[in-house]
Amino acid sequence: MTGATNVTGLADVTAFANTLRAEWTKFRTVRGWVLATVAGAVLIVVFGLQPGMQGSCGKKGPGSECRPPVGPGGEEVTDSFTFFHQALTGDGSVTARVTGLTGQLSGGGPDRPRQGVVPWAKAGLLVKAGTGQGSTYAAVMLTGGHGARLQYDYTHDLAGAPGAVPRLVPGVVPGGGTRNEPRWLRLSRSGDTVTGAESADGVRWTTIGAARLAGLPATAQVGLFVTSPQYAEEVHDGLESGAMGGPSRATGTFDHLTTGDGWTGTAWQPDVIGVRGDGPATGAESLERTGDVVRLTGSGDIAPEVAGAGGLGVSISQTLVGTFAGLIVAAVVGCVFVTAEYRRGLVRTTFLASPGRARVLAAKAAVVGGTMFVTGLVAAAVVVVLGQRVLRSNGVYVHPAPTSTEIRVIVGTAAVLALGAVLALGLGALLRRGVTAVTAAVVLIVLPYLLAMTVLPADAARWLLRVSPAAAFAVQQAAPEYPQVESLYTPVDGYFPLAPWAGFAVLAGWAAVALTAAAVVLRRRDA
Amino acid sequence: MRTALRAEWTRALRAEWTRALRAEWTKLRTSPGLPALLAAVVVGTVALSAAVAAASDPSPGTDLPKLSLTGVQLGQAVVAILGVLMMGDEYASGMVAVTLTAVPRRGRVLAAKAAVVAAVVAAAAAVAVAGCVVVGWLLLPADAVAARPAVGSVLYLVLIGLLGLGIATGVRSSAAGVGVLLALLYVLPIIAAAVADPDWQRHLRQIGPASAGLAVQAQANAGDLAIGPWKGLGVLALWAVGALLAGAVLLERRDA
Amino acid sequence: MITVNGLRKRFGPTTALDGMTFTVRPGQVTGFVGPNGAGKSTTMRIVLGLDAADAGEALVDGHPYRALRNPLRHVGALLDASALGPGRSARNHLLWLAHSQGLGTHRVDEVLHEAGLTAVAARRAGGFSLGMRQRLGVAAALLGDPPTLLLDEPFNGMDPEGIIWMRGFTRALAAEGRAVLVSSHLMSQLEDIADRVVVVGRGKVIADASVSELLATVSDGRVTVRSAAADTAAAVLADGGGSVAATGDGALVVAGLSAETVAGLLSRHAVPFSELAAHRATLEDAYLELTQEAVDYRATIPGEAR
Repeated sequence: MTGATNVTGLADVTAFANTLRAEWTKFRTVRGWVLATVAGAVLIVVFGLQPGMQGSCGKKGPGSECRPPVGPGGEEVTDSFTFFHQALTGDGSVTARVTGLTGQLSGGGPDRPRQGVVPWAKAGLLVKAGTGQGSTYAAVMLTGGHGARLQYDYTHDLAGAPGAVPRLVPGVVPGGGTRNEPRWLRLSRSGDTVTGAESADGVRWTTIGAARLAGLPATAQVGLFVTSPQYAEEVHDGLESGAMGGPSRATGTFDHLTTGDGWTGTAWQPDVIGVRGDGPATGAESLERTGDVVRLTGSGDIAPEVAGAGGLGVSISQTLVGTFAGLIVAAVVGCVFVTAEYRRGLVRTTFLASPGRARVLAAKAAVVGGTMFVTGLVAAAVVVVLGQRVLRSNGVYVHPAPTSTEIRVIVGTAAVLALGAVLALGLGALLRRGVTAVTAAVVLIVLPYLLAMTVLPADAARWLLRVSPAAAFAVQQAAPEYPQVESLYTPVDGYFPLAPWAGFAVLAGWAAVALTAAAVVLRRRDA
Repeated sequence: MRTALRAEWTRALRAEWTRALRAEWTKLRTSPGLPALLAAVVVGTVALSAAVAAASDPSPGTDLPKLSLTGVQLGQAVVAILGVLMMGDEYASGMVAVTLTAVPRRGRVLAAKAAVVAAVVAAAAAVAVAGCVVVGWLLLPADAVAARPAVGSVLYLVLIGLLGLGIATGVRSSAAGVGVLLALLYVLPIIAAAVADPDWQRHLRQIGPASAGLAVQAQANAGDLAIGPWKGLGVLALWAVGALLAGAVLLERRDA
Repeated sequence: MITVNGLRKRFGPTTALDGMTFTVRPGQVTGFVGPNGAGKSTTMRIVLGLDAADAGEALVDGHPYRALRNPLRHVGALLDASALGPGRSARNHLLWLAHSQGLGTHRVDEVLHEAGLTAVAARRAGGFSLGMRQRLGVAAALLGDPPTLLLDEPFNGMDPEGIIWMRGFTRALAAEGRAVLVSSHLMSQLEDIADRVVVVGRGKVIADASVSELLATVSDGRVTVRSAAADTAAAVLADGGGSVAATGDGALVVAGLSAETVAGLLSRHAVPFSELAAHRATLEDAYLELTQEAVDYRATIPGEAR
């Protein structure tokens, strides 16, 4: 009896293999479908390599290459701020009181700066390995809209006690600065560990957190710092969307700057690290000192460098702008592959040859999915590799991504094309009419993304991008999103609400549902 | 003598056009799927507008009429199907041969179809846009009702239907026609947004059928539009006319 | 009346028509026969203005089809019975056609009645059987009451009653003075209804003659004889000048002698016979003989020697 079961199992496998081969032959012998598949790949490549973007990196002589400094973790960083500092050796602590933070933004109108503090403007105390950009540091600070925080080594960010400052809606705070109660900040160093603390009265201190800075030398630069990052606002005008923004600057008012616990010295001097065109250029410009009160003005940010509207350059996802076009082609081919059978009754011949209808559907899915995967793989590989070169040669800064990320983006895009075709196949088998199925597939895949990009408010847009098949585009996200860096993390720039494989799973879920429903309906219906 | 002949000729021509139009109208009104499609235009448009209006908390300065007419972006997909099917279905069943034996003047066939599509879509679009206006009046703050965006949206949908008809005549397949048209309408704006060079972006927005056509929905003083409202609709009209002309030439020259 | 003169057409590397010339005259049924790929459908499509010829002309009542006003009043055609929108009812399908010629519902009901479809007029045409679709196609061809009719394989899918109806119908149409062109593979049907036959092969006309003339060109028929004394009969008939072959089931087939001669020989020599059948040449024989050279696609019967 076991022998018979084995034979049946083998017969099943052979039958499926035959069906698979039949479906592959069916596919490759229709010139229109093969051409369309190739056209989809060509579209992806053409849109990825088009010279539409221009930048200025490397275009203004040898010194103008965009090469951001690199932090201790290997990531690219922005490191620009005004520093009122001195060198201190060994362990110790430094304390200061922040009495005000005001700011100014450009871009409010032609040449008229607006008053306002951006949410991530920073003023506080800083301990840094040196004045070189990208060196290790720890800072305790007061921000424009996020309260007191401890940040270190660019990517780490800890919040102070809640309620320290009311958390404002992200966006520019118009007309002024933070509330007027002064706040005390303290930074203490002990060997490799730096602790940040804050207080309302200078007596009772709350520790925000501690940072381990492995590369901190014995002598470090310590002092007050102020900086204020670029701000970006979204502009929605129907099908036009874009970002508006510009640089900003902030002025922090400090007093009671003292050192203790081993650190002594009063030889503070102002410096501007990472001079920016819109901020003060020299230490002298940035400092106003009246007795005990120090007013520092600074512009820039101490944070990881991000791609997109609020930051510098683009990520490698930019090369894959044509994916949507390829996806539409994949959807049309996937649909037509099954609806063509119903047109002239070919479906009856198919089911005579292979009575297992679910098997036929699986074979079709395998054929169309496999074909789209392979062509997508080739197209994505070509465009990710070559597209970066095209962009760079045009002077656009492309954030390099580790090879594993590049592979994930390429393979993920190919898989998204494959699953898109399979989803369309399922819809085609369900609806049987090619036109309805194609429309359903295209609208399902593209419309939520389009609406999210243009008309919808941010919450609705992010919800749609989690739930609709277009969530799978998250596999193309090549740059991480940092909450402490204010930027426009829009899908167009390659930022998605879900993690890559989570987004892919959403599309896989849609495709699975469509295919299962199709299999069930196919079995019950007359051919 | 000549005037009599000319009058005779004019009368005969008018009679032929009447017959072609009547035949196409009968064909369309006896299609079993038509009522469902028209209902889908209206329902899809109004539903999406209502959903978006209910979910938004518009800040001052938002273009309210345009927001209330968001549904047109879904309704256009159904209108696209309608326009494409008008010709694509005939090729699918082979009935195009019968049509062309009944009316051998092929340009006339296409023109009659275009007239019928325009009339039917205009009617459905008028109902749909009226629904959006009501939705805007109910769910959004005041000023969500404006004449130009509404009228322009109806014209927009009519032009989309005609564009579909022209494309289907060219590609002779419903599925391919719908695929091409939806890609033009939906994917082109996405690609335009992703191309970060502002000049390219502007150009793509000026020539894309959807982005240009929907400019008619924008408020008059919206500063940063890529193209003016009526100009944008004109661009879409060029697309539709171009597709119909190309379709007519191909129809005339190709074997049926 | 249809005049076709020197039509040439190529589809890519294939020559479909290579100088096709013939005339379809009123008051007659003209059969249009030929092997697959001979160019019958292409010719009809060119006559109807659907395809364009590379050279030559096809005129309906002296005009090219695309110049006709209300063409369905000049020519009625049935090309492809399945060429209809499946969702429409039969009546609605005829209705839009009628409207395109300036006709109305009255005429639609008339042709439905003539084609015997009144009972199913409101049903979806997509659900019709092949035979019913053929009838609907004929009804459409008759809408304009045209003096010329082109029917492409009208017997396909008809049941025996339908075939009898179609045969009577085509003859009646011709008797009314119309010009009728019927293409078919079923020679037996054509034999009884056609007055003239145009035989085509490889894009050209091979023969264009009345049925009787065509039959006369075919080699004489054979005579089948069954006899208890088969050998004697064979010898006698062979002596008499005929070539005799034995079929497997005990009969003899004699070629070269008329039936009367065979009967006379056998009686004179007192050879008993139980069956004597004269096998008359048919249109099928004529057709096969004429088109031997022109067949592009020939199937083989398993076991048959070539």
